[in-house]
Amino acid sequence: MTRLRDGRLLRSAPPACAHCGLAVPESLVRQGEANQFCCAGCRQVHALIREWGCDQYYRLVEQQGGTLEPAKVTGRDFTDFDHPGLQAEATEGVAGGRCRTRLYLEGVHCAACVWLVEKLPSAVPGVAEVRLNLGSAVAEVTWEPSKTRLSEIGRALDRLGYTPHVHRANRVQEARRTEDRASLVRLGVATACAMNLMFLHGALYAGESSGMATPYETFFRWLSLAVSFPVLVFSARPFFQTALSGLRHRVVHIDLPVAVALAVTFASSAWNTVKGSGPIYFDSLAMLVAALLGARQAQRGAQRAALERADSLRGAAFIEFARRLEGEGAGVSAVEVPVSALEPGDRVEVRSGELLPVDGIVLSGRSSLDNAVLTGESGPVPVREGDAVSAGATNLGARLVVRVEAAGERTRVGALLEIVQQALAHRPPLLQLTDRVARRFVQALLVLAAVTGAAWLHRSPAVAAERVVALLVVACPCALGLSVPLAVSVALMRAARAGIFVKNPDALERLRHVHTLFLDKTGTLTEGKATVTRWAGDEGSLELAGAIEEESSHAVARAFRLALGRPVRVVRDVADVREIPGKGITGRLGGRTVSVGNRALVDAAGASVPAPLAAHAEALTADGLSPVYVAVDGRVAGVGGVGDPLRPDAAATVSALRRLGICVRILSGDDREVVARVAAQLGIPEGDALGGLSPEAKRDVLASLAPRRQRGGSVVMVGDGVNDAAALALADVGVAVHGGTGASIVAADVVFTREGVAPLLDLLVGARRVRAVVARNLGFSLVYNVAASAAAVAGLVGPLFAAVLMPVSSLTVVLSSSLARTFGRVPGAGAAARTEA
Amino acid sequence: METIFVLLPLALLIAGIALALFVWAARSGQFDDLETPAVRILFDDEEPRPAEPEFLPPKPPETAEDAPTRRDPK
Repeated sequence: MTRLRDGRLLRSAPPACAHCGLAVPESLVRQGEANQFCCAGCRQVHALIREWGCDQYYRLVEQQGGTLEPAKVTGRDFTDFDHPGLQAEATEGVAGGRCRTRLYLEGVHCAACVWLVEKLPSAVPGVAEVRLNLGSAVAEVTWEPSKTRLSEIGRALDRLGYTPHVHRANRVQEARRTEDRASLVRLGVATACAMNLMFLHGALYAGESSGMATPYETFFRWLSLAVSFPVLVFSARPFFQTALSGLRHRVVHIDLPVAVALAVTFASSAWNTVKGSGPIYFDSLAMLVAALLGARQAQRGAQRAALERADSLRGAAFIEFARRLEGEGAGVSAVEVPVSALEPGDRVEVRSGELLPVDGIVLSGRSSLDNAVLTGESGPVPVREGDAVSAGATNLGARLVVRVEAAGERTRVGALLEIVQQALAHRPPLLQLTDRVARRFVQALLVLAAVTGAAWLHRSPAVAAERVVALLVVACPCALGLSVPLAVSVALMRAARAGIFVKNPDALERLRHVHTLFLDKTGTLTEGKATVTRWAGDEGSLELAGAIEEESSHAVARAFRLALGRPVRVVRDVADVREIPGKGITGRLGGRTVSVGNRALVDAAGASVPAPLAAHAEALTADGLSPVYVAVDGRVAGVGGVGDPLRPDAAATVSALRRLGICVRILSGDDREVVARVAAQLGIPEGDALGGLSPEAKRDVLASLAPRRQRGGSVVMVGDGVNDAAALALADVGVAVHGGTGASIVAADVVFTREGVAPLLDLLVGARRVRAVVARNLGFSLVYNVAASAAAVAGLVGPLFAAVLMPVSSLTVVLSSSLARTFGRVPGAGAAARTEA
Repeated sequence: METIFVLLPLALLIAGIALALFVWAARSGQFDDLETPAVRILFDDEEPRPAEPEFLPPKPPETAEDAPTRRDPK
């Protein structure tokens, strides 16, 4: 028996595709040609790259260590890009009568893509400039409307293998970019001032020990005051703002003690400068601000990678265009228009392999639809004239003509995505551990300040005031403020390298105690596509079956094509193909009669079933797979099990999660029986596997758990489809698995870029370790603070002491954070799941 | 030593100019994308070469022996 691991059969030493380097199937090898291609897409892209004289691209890909995938060319004409409504939304005018449009490109993989895409101006007349951002995969195209059209540019990019999507500016992204720039400026100002203050204070410290003439000292002190002023009023403004808004809501935030310390430090130092005597702490103040802003900037930077892709997807519509049929009778033509331009009653054409753009009624054509992304059903749904269809389903079979009932936001999937946006906008922020510590901290500090003041009052009020100020300065929780952002930013970067993109760092805190973990089935626990998983019999007959099935649009046919991993068309002369509804398909191929279908079909053809194959078929049925028989010349040559297989790491991951004490449940839109069978395979109790749920029902399950949260731990949802998106947004932590839809990536807090569900374990273990690092950092910083406060109360603290203590305590936290092994080579979880699988 | 009364403000002024330049660069978005410019600089400024004539007609088998798709660096 041949087990098809990832659904592909491998053969010995076939030629490599000249574009992507994959093996070229024997049937596609063209004799006498220097370049061979694995598919039509690669052939087209390679030809265009050569036509442009951009052959260097391949060398660059090699240099950059990138890997090419088989090219995807949609062949659309992109006339919807020229629609006035869309252009008004996505295009802005720039100087010289030019336009600027942002396009999100699918398929951007490495630096060589930057080179190739930015060569567009020399190949397409009228394109002035292209700038591609590698992180977000958004290209900014400057073009001249008098010389070219946006559809022209779209077609050129498509033919290069980068499917373009119009990227609309969205408020979330704009706001984040503005905030990014502002915080960078604040950090720059604080750092520059801190450096200069260090020089000035260095001179003062040196003067203190060796003597310094008063005019010079006064001059230096006034300069320090001047230089530290922008730090306080400009760079440190966010601390004061958060502290104040926290006070207004009666919440003590970590920024409150920071703001108090900053204010007291500056006021006393400024007063001492004016007075001409007494300690000044301007250097400590600036350093503190620079260090805290730096740590927060590091966290922003670590989050950026995860957020950028999600923002790109947020800017691109899930369904962009429809082929509207215009004209009547023989003069009918299909024109690509944006979905926003559709009116109820319009007719649209949906070709094989395309997404349905609208909710509507089928006017003509018969086909089957893949609803997996939309509802979670793993099996295809047949449709015919008069059936209602929903936007977002994929047309697996023949061309359909659909009458539009609703388009855009008025479709069911549009409404669902609207819910996601709302849920994301109304998520309560998490009270961080440091904020809870900050509260105790402020209380302790107030008590201590009062005691210090009272204890030194017997000397003189001036001495008492000086001691209290010194206490407030050194007790400033600098290391405390650094401990969380540093630990988190290091963890986020390590996690990204391990294939886990954390968009929302609050997720790490919430993942510490997980009570219930909901898993979607189709596409999450399983691959989400019907495929031939277990094949027994002659391998040659599997290829014959694939060739015959090439003629069919049925879902089983797609399974066979997937099993072969490539199309088999072109070569063999397939003849007399007949599809027998509900049974299978027969045909003649190279002089042999081939039948592919269920038992009834091969029985009707009079084919005998050898005993081992019959036993195999029974085993397949027992495992919930549909056996498909392949008969060649009146004899059954092979039996394959067609189904949506569990991912190889699913069982091990689920049992490991249960060992962690997490209640694992399934939340699926698929048929109840299928869900029950999957649950049984994974050892999940039947009551915990919910099937047949609509997307709205999934959302309600999550929403109903809301009141019970906090005490019992968090609720996590793991999914991939549009139907999971609302549930992902409502869960305490939403996790989108690799290969999920754009909607799930936008809705989730954590996105996997590694195949399978095993990264879940790494994520949970990593989250617990991050917490341990944060606790350790807090411990260090509290020790420093207690020691420094004690010294201040005893009257031992001067400006130099404060200036040295601040960086030393910060450095401890930096080291403690960067040495922590939070994610990455996790010895327990990930490796165990892989070996068990 | 009195010269320090002039030199120090002058030094701070120069530092201030540098800081102003940084603020301008950050505000005009030059630090928005820290990844792509780092790789863009690796590419030579070679103009794409025009299409090779052998590409345009269908290739005769014997001349297409070894069409240099990946140009030799030498």
